[in-house]
Parts: sequence; C-alpha cells; structure tokens
Amino acid sequence: MPDHTSNGMQCNEFDSLLSDALDGVLSGAGLGRFQAHARTCKSCGPLLAEAEAGRTWLKGLTEVEPPASLVNNILASTTGVDSQRLRTQVRSPQPRVSWLEHVQASFLEPLWAVVRQPRFAMSFGMAFFALSVTLTALGVKPADIAEVSLRPAAVRQSYYRTQARVVRYFDNVRPVLELQAALRSIKRNPPAEPGPAKQKDHKNDTTQQPEQKQDRNYSQAGNQLILAGDPLGPSLRDLPVVSVTTDRRFV
Amino acid sequence: MEDVQVVAMLVRRCIAGDSAAWEEIVQTYSRRIYNICYRFAGSGDDAQDLTQEVFIKMYRTLSSYDHTKGAFVTWVTTITRNLLVDHFRKTKQDRMTDSMDTAASDHEDAQPLNEQIPDQSAPPDARVRQREVSETVHHALGKLSPELREAVILRDLQDMDYREIATVLKVPEGTVKSRINRGRAELARLLQRTYRQVM
Repeated sequence: MPDHTSNGMQCNEFDSLLSDALDGVLSGAGLGRFQAHARTCKSCGPLLAEAEAGRTWLKGLTEVEPPASLVNNILASTTGVDSQRLRTQVRSPQPRVSWLEHVQASFLEPLWAVVRQPRFAMSFGMAFFALSVTLTALGVKPADIAEVSLRPAAVRQSYYRTQARVVRYFDNVRPVLELQAALRSIKRNPPAEPGPAKQKDHKNDTTQQPEQKQDRNYSQAGNQLILAGDPLGPSLRDLPVVSVTTDRRFV
Repeated sequence: MEDVQVVAMLVRRCIAGDSAAWEEIVQTYSRRIYNICYRFAGSGDDAQDLTQEVFIKMYRTLSSYDHTKGAFVTWVTTITRNLLVDHFRKTKQDRMTDSMDTAASDHEDAQPLNEQIPDQSAPPDARVRQREVSETVHHALGKLSPELREAVILRDLQDMDYREIATVLKVPEGTVKSRINRGRAELARLLQRTYRQVM
C-alpha cells in the first residue's frame, strides 16, 4: 500500500483502522478522519468499498451441514467405539431388565455370535463325532449315564464295583491266556511215545489203587499196631511209634 | 464461546478415559471444524477427511492442552489450521493446474463458475439463488491465497476475534487485520470480475 497522507491520515493508518471501521467500533474524530481519507485517497477509497463488499459476501455464506456419519466416523477412528453404543451406555436411562434378559445380553448373544461362525460349527461337529465314536467303542450307553447317581455313597459303591469288575475281568482272562500258551507249547513240542511215560504216569496214578494203599504207613496194614519193643531192624527202631487211622480221601 | 471450567473438566474426563466426555467434545466441535475445513479445502470429501484427522490429532495430544494458556476453541482451531496448511502444501501441485472456471465441488454439478452465476432473467427463486450465490462465493474464496483465506474464514465465518486469530496464525494482530482487509477486497474483486464476464 502506498504511504500517502491525505486529510491527516496515512494509508498505513487507514489500513489498520479499516477492520475496526467495518466492525463499527470506530467513532468520533477517528471515524471522521477515516471517512475523509477514504473519500480523497485514490487507493484507500476503492479498498474500503471492496473490503466492505467482500465482507458482505462472506457474511452471506451459511454454515454447511456436515455428513451425518461424521461423528460416528470420528469416534470410530479415535476410540474405536460406535457412538450409538456409547449413547445407550451413558445417556439413556437404563431400563429395568430381568436377570434372564441380562444373561441373554451378556452371555448368550455373544456366545451365539461365536457359535454361528462356520468354523466353530465344523469344529464342534468333529468333536461331537469323535466323542460319540469313542463312547460307542467303550460301550457307554446314554441310558447308563442317565442312571448315574452322584451321591457320595453311590459314587463310592460304583468305584468299588468297577474295580471288582476290572479285577474279575483280568482273572477271567488269565486262564484263557494260560490255556492258549499251553496249546501253543503242545503244538510246538508234541508229546513223545506213550510207553515209559505211560508207566511213569501209571505209577503216580492212584485212582485204581485200593483205599489202604493211600495210607501213610505204606508197609503195614491199616489196623496193625507197631510196638515199641518189636525188633524191626536198626532203621525202623529209631522211628516213633505212630498209630494212624484215617478216613481222609484225596480228591 | 465456551465456559473454560466446563471445557477443562471435559478435557480432564477425556484424559482419564471417559468415552462419553470425548463424544461430547466431538459432538460440540465437529461442525465448526468441518466448516473451517470445507471452506478452506473447498471439497466436502476433503473436509470430512481433514476433520477426522483433526480429531485424531486432538485425541492424541489432548493431554498437552493447558487451559491457562488459552481457550479450548483456539487450541482446536490451531490444530485445524496447522493440518490445513499441511494439506495445502501436499495438494499444491494439483491446484496449480486448476483455473477459476474449472473448479469443481461435490456440493453441486461441476460447472464453470461463470455458468453458475444466477440468470437474472430466470423466475426469482430466493432459495435456489441464495444457494447459487453461496457456491459462487465459496469458489471465489478458494482462489484466495491461503494466508488471506484462512484469515477471512476465521474472522467472517467463524467470528473469532483478532487476538484469537493472531494466536492461531502466530502473527501479530496488525498483520491479521491487514490480511483480513486484503482478503475481503480480493474476494470482492474476484466476484466483480466474474459477474462482469457474465454481464
């Protein structure tokens, strides 16, 4: 701006007062000098008119309405929280909800949201299939589970019963295993010619012997007494005198 | 403009992690910031992106606000202005190819400015005409230099006083007044030139 002096006011001073003049805060002698300078100065006069016109144009501009999603977008990009949710949490009065609705809102709905995912459904299906196959293989029936009693006495009783069953099972299995082992050994080592073996067996076979042969006193009759003074020889003399009468039978 | 104590309390609640307080700040200042960005950047999309950026920066630097040093609105406007200056520098190359007649906005059809001047022979429709005039002024505003534009926006559109504007722009009050005067005059000249072409 050229630094002219007109009506006792320089253009620089006019420029500095221009805003105040347009705002209406200039008054009195200052306003008079300002207006006089504007009338006479070739550069400041048009400047006042243009500034006034420009101000009028700008004042005519109205505020624009921001997009409806702006606040939500800002909140999402800053806190990551949707404003709608915040509003329901903070501002709106909390309606009375039953415990069932509370449980549903807190646990069931989030759980259902997870369950609805195909990945979870597939995993659950596979787990259920594996469990059912395992239970079937172990012989567990749903009816058995329904009859289970959880009283301590019942649990203790079922524990001992199960233990006994297991022991019995193994006891029953062992003879079978022994029998199988014996059969295998017989197959591997077939029995020799029955001649001497038969005689040997016959010696031990007492089933056909008379009852008295089974007595302990093999050389005496069953009812014969052995006297202490009887000279039976040096070997027998040292033996104690025993009177045996027995009805014992060998089974 | 704002109750300093109330705003200071709101800011303290925000810093303490109160989401509702932050939402209140966003609700209160988003419209103002969006308007500054829209008038400066000229485009609705740019204004929306810039407004989001302003709030992200505010959210990160909220703890640095000191209410004893100035009003919250001045602090917010300073952040906005700094981001707008950055945005202007980034998009300077794009604008160099623009001309007054080819400027476009997403708020109306991409018509040249001289085609948007209201037709005097058309039947008077105050609302439509007002809208067209507003768009014309908006485009003319976009043709001002950024220093003049930001000064007139803060003064004439946001009604900030000279001291606050001086704080935001980091220049003396005298410079602020000078820029405002030159900005208004330049705008008037641009609009007169446009109207003269049409007439």
